[in-house]
Amino acid sequence: MRFLLRRLLLFALALLAISLVIFAALRILPGDVATIMAGLNAPPDRVEALRAQLGLNRSLPQQYGDWMLGLLHGDFGLSMLTGRPIAAQVGSRAALTFPLITLGLAIALIVGIPLGCLSLMASSSRLRSFYHILSIVGGSIPALWGGLLLILLFSRGVGLVGLLPSQGFPESGWADFGQALESLTLPALTLGILVGASLMRYTRSALGELADSGWIDMARACGMTHNQALVRVGLRLALPQLVSVVGLTFAEMITGAMVVENLFALPGLGSGLVTDLGNRDLIAVQSELFMLAAFFLGVGLIVDLLHRALDPRLKASSAVGEVNA
Amino acid sequence: MREPISTAKPVSASKAQQSGKLSRFWRRTRIVTSSVWAKPEGKFAVLILGLWVLAALVSLVWTPQPLLATNGYEAWQTPSRIHLLGTDGTGADLLSWLLAGSSTNLAICILTVSFAAALGTLLVAATVSRSTALSNTSIVLVDALISIPTVLIALILAVPMGASVAVIVLACGLGYGLNLARVVRPQALLAANADYTYSALSSGASGWQILISHILPNIAQPMAVQLSLSAGTSILAESGLTYLGVGVPSGLPSWGHSLATSVKFIAVYPLTVLWPGLVVTVVVVALNLFGDALRDAIDPASNAALRKVAA
Repeated sequence: MRFLLRRLLLFALALLAISLVIFAALRILPGDVATIMAGLNAPPDRVEALRAQLGLNRSLPQQYGDWMLGLLHGDFGLSMLTGRPIAAQVGSRAALTFPLITLGLAIALIVGIPLGCLSLMASSSRLRSFYHILSIVGGSIPALWGGLLLILLFSRGVGLVGLLPSQGFPESGWADFGQALESLTLPALTLGILVGASLMRYTRSALGELADSGWIDMARACGMTHNQALVRVGLRLALPQLVSVVGLTFAEMITGAMVVENLFALPGLGSGLVTDLGNRDLIAVQSELFMLAAFFLGVGLIVDLLHRALDPRLKASSAVGEVNA
Repeated sequence: MREPISTAKPVSASKAQQSGKLSRFWRRTRIVTSSVWAKPEGKFAVLILGLWVLAALVSLVWTPQPLLATNGYEAWQTPSRIHLLGTDGTGADLLSWLLAGSSTNLAICILTVSFAAALGTLLVAATVSRSTALSNTSIVLVDALISIPTVLIALILAVPMGASVAVIVLACGLGYGLNLARVVRPQALLAANADYTYSALSSGASGWQILISHILPNIAQPMAVQLSLSAGTSILAESGLTYLGVGVPSGLPSWGHSLATSVKFIAVYPLTVLWPGLVVTVVVVALNLFGDALRDAIDPASNAALRKVAA
């Protein structure tokens, strides 16, 4: 319980800190937000009007307070470009990015964990180095290039085998489920390979550390073969560590997702953020950056809590600590 | 246990002891280098990295074709005697740009890794410091910020700074520094609570002396491994951030640029896109293999020759 409270407090503090950093980053711009947003050669009265409209002529603490209050009420402001509420814009983009990341993560798990187990079970040294090289090469391909290679191989029009679309997302969104899924396949595969390779390495090293432990010997004494023991006992023991890794790979995936969304012309959070940044739609950028940061801090929080729930040893050791203290 | 680099009298070490320590350090370094070199992966990694540094140095004074010699009539040429890897959309020589990019990428890599190392060391120093406020703050800071992806930090920095090398170095250095601090924290805490540290404390050593002679030697090995992996990630980050328009500014050659500029024309000139991606992949593979080889070579548990020196 004390751990939960401390962790929640930490989460709130980090959220506050990151919001201040984002706010400050936008306010130390050379010139100011209104001048940049109004564009070059904008008449001074236009800049002044924009400044008043955005509330930029108020004091900094007031501006920050307005922004935070708006966020708390779910009011993120209006996009300067489209005039639509930013919240709606973010919502429709998230409806693409989250399925994309989830699909990518699913592929990564399906590929990475079994391969990680296999690479540890490999009997010959040649096979072992094959798996080693596979995991290293898979994790060393830039997302951009991996996506391009997949386009060259599998996309309609350009690819050797014209299977899947290489660009865009159906206008109707998820209403056309099949087509939406089709257009997410190559991007998700790009992400999946990238992250799958690092998951494979983590699985291998986590299991490898356990392989020499008493747990595996115990399981073998109960009649399991070495490989059975690794998969049934080892994976369960490595689970807390793997959950942490999967949580951190989420961060890796959003990086990949930004590149992949741009490459495949998908209107997601990452490509949207880059577009808004390019268009100098700074009010939207401010809220979007904060929401993404909040999301990742949230993932970090959930991962820490899960890690603790899955590893009873942590709880036991801290209980002892609390008694002693 | 780690090797007993430091024994009970670390503070008032005599000159003889100092030189003995130093020669042991060199002997250990030599053993580590030769065991990295002994493996085929290690050899491959060292050769590729050597080639990279060489290319970076050469490109500072010479490239096969002048970088700015663009010629619209020579756009998108296939490889030829004059343009060994062909040309891009402006008629610029691809090989020359890749060579020139190697120096930018090397600089980014070195700067990022140095920044991460400095930040990581500072954070670890704060973690093991005797002031509980300082150590709690650093632990909280690391744990809170570690889940923010570097690309997000880069985008935040890019708002005031625009596309620049500094954005990559600061964002990646910050991310990798936090990561480094978290990875080596357990070992640093073990060393900070070891008997030899208490013994040094009671004989009057200052916090900084203890950091340098007791904590750093214990975390140097995992740090080296982690940093060589970070070096690879920084190359990948460069290509991603540059493609997103917040990395290396246009005009400055880099591998990310070469990759990003060819992307739009992939349907028409797929060959151009192969080379920059291949260069990035090979170099990152080399850095990762080097990190792995270093991990095996540096760990007394897997390197018998090292155990002999320690004994």
